[in-house]
Amino acid sequence: MIGQKVERVHCPVCLARFKYDPKWKEGDVVICPICGQKLKLEHKPDGWTGARVDRGSDREIRDRADEFARIRGYVFNDMKEEILEGLIGKNKRFKDFYCPCRMMHVPEYQCPCKPTRAGDVDVNGKCYCGFFWRMDTASNPVPPSPRTGR
Amino acid sequence: MAATKEKPTVYALSTCPYCKRTRRFLDDHKIDYECVEVDLLDDKAQDEVMDKIEKLSGKRVFPVVVVGKDIIVGHDEAKLKKAFHL
Repeated sequence: MIGQKVERVHCPVCLARFKYDPKWKEGDVVICPICGQKLKLEHKPDGWTGARVDRGSDREIRDRADEFARIRGYVFNDMKEEILEGLIGKNKRFKDFYCPCRMMHVPEYQCPCKPTRAGDVDVNGKCYCGFFWRMDTASNPVPPSPRTGR
Repeated sequence: MAATKEKPTVYALSTCPYCKRTRRFLDDHKIDYECVEVDLLDDKAQDEVMDKIEKLSGKRVFPVVVVGKDIIVGHDEAKLKKAFHL
C-alpha cells in the first residue's frame, strides 16, 4: 500500500537491508537473501538488525557459502575446500572472510564479494575466485552441502 | 664470466588456493624458487611489489611466476611445464 512503511533488516555482512517478514520475531534465525549469512534477529531503536550466527567460525563461512549458492542456484567445484581454507586463512590474518584471491580487505570483498552479489556469476559463469559457478559452466559440479539444521 | 642465473620468483597471496597449487607443483618438481607473499608485506613494500607485478603481467592478479623472461599469470601447469622444460 502506498505510504505504508516497509520494515527492513540490516545485514552486517553485505550491509544490505532486506525486507522484514511480519511473522518473524526477535531471536529468530533467518538467512540474508542477499549474501546467505545466518542472522539472529534483534530489534534496536533504529530498526531490525541481524547478529551473525557462529561469528568468526569455520561453520559461519561454510553455511554462508552454501546458503548463497542455494539461493542463487549456483554450485561449487573441486576447489571448494581449498577456497574455504583460504577464506579461513583470511579470517585468521585479517579478521573477516574476505575473498582469498584478492589483496584488499574491505567490506565489498567480504565473501560472497559485491560483484558476485551483483550477478558476476550469471554473466561470467563463475565468480572472481572460481568458488561459485553457474551450473552449466562448472566441470564436476559440487552442490551446496545439505543444511545441518542448526 | 657467465651471468648469474636468477632464481624463479612466485608472487603470491598467502590465502590464495591457486598460488598454493603453483607452489605445490614447483615443490613436487623439486624446483628451487623464491616466493613473495605480497599480502604479508608492509604497506610500502606491498605498493612496490604490486607496481612490479602490474608492469610484468599487465594485471594485479595472483599467482605470477617469473622464470627468466617468461611471465606466467595464474596457475597454469602447461605453461609451468614449458617454462621449466618438464
